[in-house]
Amino acid sequence: VKFVDEFRSGKLAATLAGELDRLVERGTTLKLMEVCGGHTHTIYKHGIEQLVPDEIDYVHGPGCPVCVIPMGRVDDAIGLAERPEVIFTTFGDMMRVPGGRGSLLDAKARGADVRMVYSPLDALEIARKNPDREVVFFAIGFETTAPATAVTLLRARTERIGNFSAFCNHVTIGPPLKAILDSPGLQLNGFIAPGHVSTVVGTRPYDFIVEDYEKPVVVTAFEPIDILQATVMLVRQLREGRCEVENQYTRVVRRDGNPRAIAAVEETMELRDTFEWRGLGWIDESAMRIRPEFAGWDAEERFELEGRRIEDPKACQCGEVLIGAIKPWECKVFGTACTPERPIGTCMVSSEGACAAYYNYGRLTARRDLVKA
Amino acid sequence: VSCEGDRCITCGDVAVPATVVAVDGVTATVEIEGGHEQVGIDVVGPVEVGEVLLCHAGIAIDKLEVTS
Repeated sequence: VKFVDEFRSGKLAATLAGELDRLVERGTTLKLMEVCGGHTHTIYKHGIEQLVPDEIDYVHGPGCPVCVIPMGRVDDAIGLAERPEVIFTTFGDMMRVPGGRGSLLDAKARGADVRMVYSPLDALEIARKNPDREVVFFAIGFETTAPATAVTLLRARTERIGNFSAFCNHVTIGPPLKAILDSPGLQLNGFIAPGHVSTVVGTRPYDFIVEDYEKPVVVTAFEPIDILQATVMLVRQLREGRCEVENQYTRVVRRDGNPRAIAAVEETMELRDTFEWRGLGWIDESAMRIRPEFAGWDAEERFELEGRRIEDPKACQCGEVLIGAIKPWECKVFGTACTPERPIGTCMVSSEGACAAYYNYGRLTARRDLVKA
Repeated sequence: VSCEGDRCITCGDVAVPATVVAVDGVTATVEIEGGHEQVGIDVVGPVEVGEVLLCHAGIAIDKLEVTS
């Protein structure tokens, strides 16, 4: 597959690993946060942690949009789904996320009409075909996904489809990174920034990380060679005493992103004053809501929501995993009470969650042995 | 319930490159992993058959520049 095979070359990977070996300073650990769940997935799937020198420590960031949705919002989604007139549509990974009253999958088992879609445009099509029902789309995701919701809202308005609405939970990448950088005691040396968020928003939103916090950033794509190359670029910046926003994903990402996608989002959505993140708490201006001009397509305006707030389960340490304070395998319930089959925390639910990725790719035994040693 | 393949292609920061095989208004038919899918081209159009689009959650979020 073009744009894929050439970025999985074993020979190139060995060359880059060799370059890292020469670049690192023996005994000095460099903590690099990969912000995005997609990067976490690639690192585990392709065994990149085993390939790079021991001095490179990948810290897994908050970039899984499923993992950061608080339980109260899941309960609100279930409340919407259980209304008899509603067909509730959602991406697959959100189906199993536990709220305070079970998951959307449990609600479906109880009789709620919950349907999995791959796009909000599919949800709009369901609305076209079911004019006597209310179709609600569970809109989640970072800036990568918000344009799809925006385009769907714009089409709903153009086509005057009145029985479609979105339950908006879109989040933005900059504020949680700032919250992590402000966390006391956190030691990070640099950031591997998400490639597809940046396809939409460009590289400017990361400028504050180099200007205010003096940490280097490399915007990075998702194949193993991409991650390795970004690691080399970050380590080189650190060794040379530079601190810049660099772009490894030049085959797609531009400084200004995709202005038309940004415009579609800005036309349909605006920043919320504050939003609750699982594990990170309330963060100002970190999420989007639907603009009043689109109130007719805003599920929060169309339906009464309970707005429940639920504390995360005490045993669950997703919050510490999400800010990179602990590794998934250091959580008290990892792999015992919390597994992909019976998740307690959201990091175990989504295939992009750090815990599920660790669990699925067999890092548990190896890492625990290392700790014992 | 799980997403396609071993990662969630719709809800994360993962987008898939796909070649345009047909265009109809704001919708393009693209070839993804051997199958055909329809994606909105509202924020990248106009596009032509043969161009490669980066697709996420049912829309194209950008065009890929094909270089040798």
